[in-house]
Amino acid sequence: MRDEGGRSMRREKTAVLLFREDPREDLRPEEVTELRGLAEAAGYTVLAEVFQRRGRDRRFQLGRGKVVEAASLGPNKLIFNEPLSPGQIFNIGKEFEIPPMDRFNLILEIFASRASTREAKLQVELARLSYEAPFVRTIESLKKLSERPGYRGSGSYDVSMYRDIKGRMAKIRAELRAVEETGVRRRERRRKLGFDLVALAGYTNAGKSTLFNRLAEETVAAKDQPFTTLSPTTRAVAARDRRFLLTDTVGFIDDLPLFLIKAFRSTLAEIVEADLVLLVVDLSDPPEVLRERVASCHEALWDCGCYAPLVSVLNKVDRITPEEAEERCRLLEDLAPTPVLVSAREGLGLEALLDAILEKLPPLEEFLVRLPASEAGMGQLSRLYEVAEPLEVRYGEEVEVLLRGRREIVAKALRGAERPEADQDMDDRSGAATAPEGRRPKPGDPPPDGE
Amino acid sequence: MVAVDISGRHAVAGRYIMVSASVAARISPEGVERTRRMRLVPRVAESVDMEVVIGLMEESVRGLSGVVLAERGDLYNLERWRVESILGREFKYPESRGERRAVELAHHASFAGRRLALRLMDEGWESVEG
Repeated sequence: MRDEGGRSMRREKTAVLLFREDPREDLRPEEVTELRGLAEAAGYTVLAEVFQRRGRDRRFQLGRGKVVEAASLGPNKLIFNEPLSPGQIFNIGKEFEIPPMDRFNLILEIFASRASTREAKLQVELARLSYEAPFVRTIESLKKLSERPGYRGSGSYDVSMYRDIKGRMAKIRAELRAVEETGVRRRERRRKLGFDLVALAGYTNAGKSTLFNRLAEETVAAKDQPFTTLSPTTRAVAARDRRFLLTDTVGFIDDLPLFLIKAFRSTLAEIVEADLVLLVVDLSDPPEVLRERVASCHEALWDCGCYAPLVSVLNKVDRITPEEAEERCRLLEDLAPTPVLVSAREGLGLEALLDAILEKLPPLEEFLVRLPASEAGMGQLSRLYEVAEPLEVRYGEEVEVLLRGRREIVAKALRGAERPEADQDMDDRSGAATAPEGRRPKPGDPPPDGE
Repeated sequence: MVAVDISGRHAVAGRYIMVSASVAARISPEGVERTRRMRLVPRVAESVDMEVVIGLMEESVRGLSGVVLAERGDLYNLERWRVESILGREFKYPESRGERRAVELAHHASFAGRRLALRLMDEGWESVEG
């Protein structure tokens, strides 16, 4: 379609948001803001917001009158804040001829529109199918019940469609397992190269990508909208005498359904297997939702099995006063370990953040390693250069190397990284190289070889 | 904090053989820093209504100081203030990873305690209570 000026016009997507307030509990204004933000992030223009305080209506979720009121505005979609049952979706679609969707479906739509990598597309498809499978089963049964045209009435169609979905889900899961294995191998390789893995996690739109860009000096997409990042991005960060790999990940949201967490398992694995997680918190959130959002991040971290130490990055401090920041820090005392006040946009507090990261990462130790002055010894020396920081090398009858790195990584490099238990018995390693001697000898200590 | 978990909330031969475990621990947002004390209280009941659950919980946290922590499901998703008023103690549902870990610890203890109680009953103990 083109307008009078000849420019191409995209048809505007419109929606009406519908909220049902529980008679016993008030609707929080943040819920309204969040749903509006999600709708806008999905590209909808919100025509109106409709509220009703009542119990759940079995047929339409809200009372018929309220749905009629919303439908009379002529939107493309009716977006409900509460989850809709398969029957309600069918009834609303049939009665008002406007497709309804709930919050989960809206999140899935955003994911689908943003998914750019093959992995993300598969994850979104899996999440959508997991969500829709029971709906398809119910809706097909309901359609068949009233003998609508197109359904042969033999009862085989709905079953086969449900089976098709289950089959497709199994196929996607198998493909994602392969992606996951690649990820595991990649992380293993990165560890072998001596990198520490640090992941960014936090509520959606907390500023993870902006912080990532600041720390890694990158330019990944960072916008003031939920779910800008879906696929993880990893970049190396050199901080003082250490280098680590920083990964930007998908954000969490309140009431994240389990099927969504399961579908995004391979992405969340970046968080699960990190040595350190930076829990990014939007400190400019109103105090009444701040705690809930941090708690839902803890819940998501717990659900995906992340036990790595945390550094709490209290972001967006430039948007609030120092008094407000202090008050909110107190509010998060029992939820935010190692808090660091930061403004990723303005670049405030980044030095303190790097200090906290370096303090929490597994410690580096200094080792004195003796290698034979042979071809094999030189091969080992070259591997050590890749995984640790050499401080001093002395060539003689033997090659003495003083280096700093992580104990298990150095041990693995000396053994050709073949035996995972290398850090347990470094003295027993095969080859002519002498074991790392532990920490750097201090002045006055006896010589390492007992001379 | 005192994390509580009750195992055995399902009927076996018409009875509920339950064990409540309470773990008094120092908790950080990331995990359990130190476990101070642990108490196990067995109870055989005819039902698992709110009165029984709260009664068992109350007995199991007796003598342990700190805010009581328990999973939502254990208290039928009651609002926090209602649980506090029935229990008569400060109470909260787990939020941080550390609090969840403490409840998990209590769950392992109560589960193991219940297995022990069942074994004792199999060996001829008439009652595991008291």
